Amino acid sequence: MFGTDLTIDQDILSIGSSKHDAKSRPIGSGCLHAPPLDLNPTSFPLAPCPDPASFTRSNFASACGNSDSHQQVKFAKGTTTLAFKFDGGIIVSVDSRSTMGAYIASGTVKKVIEINPFLLGTMAGGAADCSFWERNLGMQCRMYELRNKKRISVASASKLLANTMSSYRGYGLSMGTMITGWDETGPQLYYVDDDGTRLHGRYFSVGSGSTYAYGVLDTYYRPDLTVEEAIDLGKRAIYHACHRDAMSGSINNLYHVTKDGWVKIHAIDVNDMHYEFLEEKANAMSS
Amino acid sequence: MSILEYNGAAIIAMTGSNCVAIASDNRLGIQYQTVAMDFRKIFRMNDSLYVGLAGLATDVQTLDQLLRFRMGLYELREEREMSPEVFTNMLSNLLYEKRFGPYFAEPIIAGLDEKNMPYLATMDLIGAISKTKDFVVAGTAEGNMYGMCETLWKPDMEKEELFETISQALLASVDRDALSGWGGVVHLITPEGVTTRHLKGRQD
Amino acid sequence: MGCGHVFCKMYGSRLPNKTPSYPLKQQVVLATDQVNARSILMYQQNLDKIAELSSHSAMGVSGPNCDLVNFSEYISKNLKLYELSNDGLKLSTHAQANFCRGELAKALRKGPFQVNVILGGYDAKVPTGGSLYVMDYLGSCTKANYGAQGYASNFCLSIMDRDWKEGQTEEEAVQIVEKCIRELQMRFLINQSNFIIKVIDKEGLRTLKYGADPADN
Repeated sequence: MFGTDLTIDQDILSIGSSKHDAKSRPIGSGCLHAPPLDLNPTSFPLAPCPDPASFTRSNFASACGNSDSHQQVKFAKGTTTLAFKFDGGIIVSVDSRSTMGAYIASGTVKKVIEINPFLLGTMAGGAADCSFWERNLGMQCRMYELRNKKRISVASASKLLANTMSSYRGYGLSMGTMITGWDETGPQLYYVDDDGTRLHGRYFSVGSGSTYAYGVLDTYYRPDLTVEEAIDLGKRAIYHACHRDAMSGSINNLYHVTKDGWVKIHAIDVNDMHYEFLEEKANAMSS
Repeated sequence: MSILEYNGAAIIAMTGSNCVAIASDNRLGIQYQTVAMDFRKIFRMNDSLYVGLAGLATDVQTLDQLLRFRMGLYELREEREMSPEVFTNMLSNLLYEKRFGPYFAEPIIAGLDEKNMPYLATMDLIGAISKTKDFVVAGTAEGNMYGMCETLWKPDMEKEELFETISQALLASVDRDALSGWGGVVHLITPEGVTTRHLKGRQD
Repeated sequence: MGCGHVFCKMYGSRLPNKTPSYPLKQQVVLATDQVNARSILMYQQNLDKIAELSSHSAMGVSGPNCDLVNFSEYISKNLKLYELSNDGLKLSTHAQANFCRGELAKALRKGPFQVNVILGGYDAKVPTGGSLYVMDYLGSCTKANYGAQGYASNFCLSIMDRDWKEGQTEEEAVQIVEKCIRELQMRFLINQSNFIIKVIDKEGLRTLKYGADPADN
């Protein structure tokens, strides 16, 4: 099976496993020549101590709030994401800033993960956790399609992710996500987070700037918005959150989901929006 | 989070040929919440002396008021303006007086001395003076600002070039710092007088 | 009281005289919740957290009841003392805010008043009329067109950013305040059913509406 003589050029699929010596616990299914498809919870090496869960909890605590402030390793966090259902489908709108403490590590992060042409996931919390597990979800959804010859429902997809999350409860994963899409039952929106919460709803906002986004969303949301109005609401809510929340900002990416799948509507610099809205206000004043 | 990072700030001062410039951002925040976008961090002491205070906003305001009081008293007693050197020592003493319960602010002093030569100094929150000939920075974007100043600054810049350099250094620095930004202000101090310009910065 | 919060709105209303150069006389709207709670217990829901400072100024205060009462009494009585010892001369709103800030900053180094304040007032001599100052318990003070403090700020600042307009009418301003209240009642963890809203204009301070009568004890 795994030997210390295993090198990268022997099998490019085992790049990850070659880093571990023979003494570490085996990962994946253990087969050298087939990529490990089954990513069940036991496939990750755990910390070599009596209580690995509490070790991760105290050293890699959830990135929600400031529970990681005492840690050596702090999470890249701070986000505003939102999604809402309305008569014309679903709007998914997010910012694109990634911060490490006060430092802005990136302003061009893709926080909407395109799971498949009918499913979108959003990213808040730990970037690695979100992207890994939503990619993993994409794979599980594809497997479902191949096995059952039909697309997976949003309810099932989100449940798969929620199940993964609950199987890792207490291991310090950090993820707040919205799974949206269009299936046989129509437009659907679910919120799933790292402690296994899974909620079905009309609209959600997740991240450090979510309260600001909720302020605008709660005040101006109606189910009978036109597509144009809905796009405007989605972008405005993100703008107001980015304006007030230091950890959100840069580009607003906005998606629209219809029965034909998702379309990316725009990627606008939040700073340009600021002046656009300022002018709008000035025009409204003078008229 | 350190108490000096509670409100967020970015201040730079640079020398040029017979001129100095001092610039700051406009943000007042409470940790990650932006409260105001027009907060003053640079204060005029006299026509050829400005001081920038980065740190806890309440102490920035207290120090400004205290310094204005001391400057006024000095001018009334001595019937002349305070020179940058004297001011630096006065401020250093003022800060050390609170050695065991300091004001949480790091000052940057920028001005022209009696011979109209550029004068730059900074100190830590308990008054350890450090004088430089090129540039000084303070605030939450300190690392970013050092990087920008090291690359952009060159000796003997004329005032327009100095203005351009300090503005670019400030704006580029705060764009990579979550706790400062939201526009800025630049004061260009020359023997002929002070020009103040407001910078339009990113609003996120 | 961890849940205490206060938010305020300043608005301007154009005077009948519409000469373009005529200065806009602004008025101030202050609003706070009326809850007094500690730990898991709600003591009362008809508190008035907006302290009257002079005939034309008031401040909304949030914080633990003890600090809230002590601080607002300390400030209002000192301002009253100033009036009495100076032949009825009142401090400007700006001066009142600075006095407040100074006291908060002074208290900070010897067991602070844990109060966040929004102070509003109307000065006949100031061209803009009304003004509003936002300060936290540390003593950082800033003049603003609108502000919110405590947990409320997370929900309300974006609404006010969205809707506040220079020179809007009293009606529009109160509408925004009510949007903010609705949002808090919808999203905020702690149930706050009662709010009090006060207005300061050239006629002075008046209570516009309240959820429960503060006098009713």
